[in-house]
This record gives sequence, structure tokens and C-alpha cells, in this order.
Amino acid sequence: MARQPSVLVVDDDPEMRALLLDVLHTEGYEVIEAKDGTEAVLALRARRFDVILMDKNMPGPSGLDLLPGFRRVCPDSKIILMTAFGDVPSYMEAVEKGAAEYLFKPFRMEELKAAITKAFRTDAESRL
Amino acid sequence: MRGQWIRAVGNRLLHNLTTRLIILMMLAFMVITGINDYGRLVREREQLLAQIQRDERIFAETLALAVRQNLRRGRATEELEELFEGILARPGLLAVVIYDPDGTVVARSVAPGFEPPLSDQLIRDALAQREAASAMTDARTGRILRYVRPFRWSPGRVGAIEVQQTLAEMERQFRRAVRNTISSRLLVLALFVLSIAVLTRWSIARPMRALIAASRALARGEWDQRITIPRQDEIGELAAEFNRMAANLQATHAELLRQAEERLRLEQEVQQAQKLAAVGMLAAEVAHEIGTPLNVISGRAEVLDRIVPRDHPERRNLEIILSQAERIKTIIRALLDYTRPRRPSLRPEPILPILGRVASLLMDRGQRREVRLLLDLPIGLPAVLADAEQLQQLFLNLVLNALDATGRGGTVRITAGPGPVLPSDGRNGILRGKADAPTLAVHVIDTGKGLTAEELNHVFEPFFSTKTSGKGTGLGLPIAEEIVRGHRGEIEMLSVPDTGTEVIVRIPLSDGGVPSPTPATPETTSHGR
Repeated sequence: MARQPSVLVVDDDPEMRALLLDVLHTEGYEVIEAKDGTEAVLALRARRFDVILMDKNMPGPSGLDLLPGFRRVCPDSKIILMTAFGDVPSYMEAVEKGAAEYLFKPFRMEELKAAITKAFRTDAESRL
Repeated sequence: MRGQWIRAVGNRLLHNLTTRLIILMMLAFMVITGINDYGRLVREREQLLAQIQRDERIFAETLALAVRQNLRRGRATEELEELFEGILARPGLLAVVIYDPDGTVVARSVAPGFEPPLSDQLIRDALAQREAASAMTDARTGRILRYVRPFRWSPGRVGAIEVQQTLAEMERQFRRAVRNTISSRLLVLALFVLSIAVLTRWSIARPMRALIAASRALARGEWDQRITIPRQDEIGELAAEFNRMAANLQATHAELLRQAEERLRLEQEVQQAQKLAAVGMLAAEVAHEIGTPLNVISGRAEVLDRIVPRDHPERRNLEIILSQAERIKTIIRALLDYTRPRRPSLRPEPILPILGRVASLLMDRGQRREVRLLLDLPIGLPAVLADAEQLQQLFLNLVLNALDATGRGGTVRITAGPGPVLPSDGRNGILRGKADAPTLAVHVIDTGKGLTAEELNHVFEPFFSTKTSGKGTGLGLPIAEEIVRGHRGEIEMLSVPDTGTEVIVRIPLSDGGVPSPTPATPETTSHGR
């Protein structure tokens, strides 16, 4: 575990990105931010991330649209989707498309940490 | 004015069934009794005449006998006249005349004021032929009956005696008899007419009037109208038939009323659902916009929460921010739960009754707009896995849109089949949802104004509407999309500007992939025919 665990935050709202950045930095993650699908794709081309934290509703391609492509490009990355006031069907759809976790905004920072920790743990388990 | 009134009454009487019947029967009665009475009166008159003639003859013979006796004794004719003096007291007797063999009046006795015909042809013939003769002649005082009786005057010679009698009395009697007969007949006739009038009034006019009144009441909409005529004849049958008709009308009317109420209820349900869906869409939009900033607020507060010491004097503010953010979240969550469309309860459903209900619900609206609404479905369509109520709402929305987009004389057609129906040239299309099982495709095709490619791109967005402001909610198609997605189906909209629009809804089949002879297609975006 020499390398710092990395997270790519994809959200069109700058305040939301700033919040996530602050919280995850404090938790000791390396955080890169992207404001939409295009920036996310560019970031993914440059390097790999352990976790991708992505908003579902963004201008341009939505988080759900990007999900299958990201799964192909970086199958190792755990993808966590976020959406405002989601419901069970949209959760099911996200999981079917390969999301590791699905957070409904507004979520507590504890929930975020738990989700990321869980993603890392399953990642570690799958590598065993 | 008066003449008109009389004519009106006359017309009314003539056209009255009872009156006509009475007149007819009266005529028949009068003809029959008239013939009978006439015959009887004529017979009576003849008998009376014969009686008078017989009396006259006997009288003449008796007189002739007396005159012969006198002549034999050689009495003079003057004496004969004396003999006649008392004779005229006999009622009806006008004259008694004695002729000698030469036809000369020998003696006579005549009622005062009467001038008898004398020594005429009748006398001469009787003397010549020596035979009795009688005749009826008209004198100034009325008819008279004459009887000439020859008798032996002297050996070998014949004289005659004539008796003249008036028939006036008999004529008077006859006239009285005629008068009596006529008046008694008229009385009988009057009684007859009266009894017929009463009878027909009771047996025909009264029930007819009851029938007419009941018919009028029925026409006014008093459906429970019945008549009671407890009779076994045709009138009773007519009443029973009327009652049956009234009962049928009542049942039909009740059924129509029930259908109208059902339609109204459905319409209200659809409106209610639309309203709720509108609120839901709005709530979802708002929730979506609020979710992120609310997350930023509560997240920042949580960050502070970790830094600010437990005993910090301003900590209370922080806790309030956290709890209020939580409260907003709870409120929005509750609003979403209330307005979110209920999840469809899917079960195998035949599509025909659903589309049939939609068509019957909108038929009136189509007629009002002079748009033909056609339900053109092959028989034996497979069942789909659906929530009937939601599908009904979906197609109601689609057909309503189609009717609104189509001008007078246009057509809206509901059909089923794998391929699109509209021509492929210049067509724009948009597809929402994704079906990954075999589906049944239902098409709603209109000949309306169509949509441009730009408009098509927005039709599934909430609050987008091409209808004139205030007419559409802009939620019909977003709701349709949501319902289709809930069914794991897809909805495709194809349009040619100024030609028409075709909406294809594909709903998964209930037997999931078992091949079916009827149109059902798993293909999704084929735009060719």
C-alpha cells in the first residue's frame, strides 16, 4: 500500500466538487476533479483511479450513459453514482449497468466514507 | 271567427274515433229500421184502405136493397130522398146518389159543402156492364173513395147506387202512424247513440286517453310511467305492450346514463392522474435542482461539525443548520413519495379492451372536432405484460395529442403492427426507453401538422408543449415515457412536418418470447418499412 488511494470526482456543480474534494483530502485520498464527461474521459486516459465518484445528471452525457464505457476502459475502478433524491428503480438501473454503489443526494459524509471504504474493501477482496 | 271555431270543432269530432264509429253505426241502424218501418206502414195503410172499401161495399149493398124495396112498393123518388136524410150521420160518408137506368140522378144526399162528381163515365160503365165498380179520385176536400153498385130497377132494367166516402181520416191516421214511428225510432236512436257513446268512451276513449297521457309523460322523460288496464282484449294487450316498451326504454336510458357516468368517472380519473403527475414532475424537477446545494450545505456543516469543539459557544448554530437541512430533505422525500407515480402492477392483459375503452372515451371529442377516430386492430393480438390502468392513461394521452394536432377532416388511427406506417421520406424520429424482450407494437397515427426535428428532440421533456399556451400541460409525453419505462417497453415518435405523426408504443408480451402469429416486434429503431 505504498500508493495513495485515488478518487476521480465527476460533478458539474463546483461547490459539490469542492466539498467532496475537501472531505476526501481530509480522509487521505488523492482526489482529481472533472466537471463533465469529457474532462472525466481525459483524466481516465491519463491514469487509473481506484474509485470514480460520478453525478448521474450532468449536461452532455449523463453518469448512466458514461458508466458502461468507463467499465470497459477501466474495469478495475469502482464506480459510485450520485443522484438527487433517487429511487429504487434508478438504483437498480445503475447497479445493472455496473455501478458499485449509488448515493442519493443529499447524503451524509459518513455515508460517502462508508461507500468508498466498501468499494476499496470489495476491490481488495476481489484481488485475493 | 265563429265559422272557424265551428269548423275546428267539426273537424275534431270528425277525426275523433268515437264519433266516427257512432255515425257509422247510426247510419246502419237508420237504414235497417227505416226499410222495416216503411214496409210496415205501407202494409197498414193498405189494410186500412181495404177495410174502408169493404165497409163501403156492405153499406152500398144494404142501401141498394132498401132502395129496391121502396121502388117495388112504388114510392116516388122524393120519398127516397127523405130516406137518405138520416144516412149522412155515418162518419166519413160524403154522398149517396141513386141513378135510374138512364144514368139520371133520381135521389141524392150530400154532405154540406161537398160537390160530388155526378153521372160520369164510372156510372155509365157500371150501368152498361151491370157490374159494381170502385174508384179513387181527388176532390177539393181530399181523396174520396167511390163505389157504384147496380141493382134491379124494374124487370129488365138496372139502376145504380153510388156511395162516396172521404179518405181524409185514413190519411190522417196514416200520417199520425208515420209521425209516431219516426219519433219512436228517433228516441230509440238517441238511446242507442247515447249507449254507444258511453260504451266507446268507457272501453276505447278512456284507455286511449290514458295511453296518450302516458306516452306524453314518457316523452318528457318520466321513464317509470306505466298504465294499468286490467283487460283481456286488444286494448289490454296494447297497454301491456306499452308497458313493455316503457320498461325497455327505461332500461336503455339507465344503461346510457350508466355509460355516461362511467365515461365521466374515467375522465375525472385521467384528469386527477394528470394533475398528480404534473405535481410529481414539478416536484421531481425541484428536488433534482435542490439535491446538490442541499448536499453542499449539509456536507459543509458536517465538516465544521468535526472541527468545532464540543463545548464551543456557537455550536448550537451548527447543529441547527444540520437538523434543518435534514428537515428539508425529509420534506422533499415525503413530497416525492406522495407524487411519484405508483409502480405498475404488471400482469398479462389483452390490449383490445384497453384500446377499446380509450377509443370510446374519445369518440365524442373526435366527432366534435370532425376528426375520424379509427380503431383498426387485427383479431387475436397477443396479451401484453401491463398495468391496464396505466396503459389506458398512456394511450389516452397519445390519442388526445393526436386529436389535438389534427385538423378538421383528418384521421387518427390506432393500429398494431411491427413496422412504422408513415412514409420514410423526410421523417424525424425519437426513441425513449428500451425493450429487451419481444413486444407488441401499437401505433397511434394522425394526419396532423407533424413536428420538426427540433421539436421532436424536446417532446419528452416536461413542460414542453407545441399546443397553444394554456391548452397542454406539457406533461402528456413525459408521463407516457415514464409509464412505458415502467413497463420495460419503449416509445418511438416519428413525424413528417405537415403530413402527420406516428407514435409507436412497444410493450413486452406476457408470454415473453414465445413466437406469435400476430404482429409483435423486438426490433427497435428500424425506420424503414
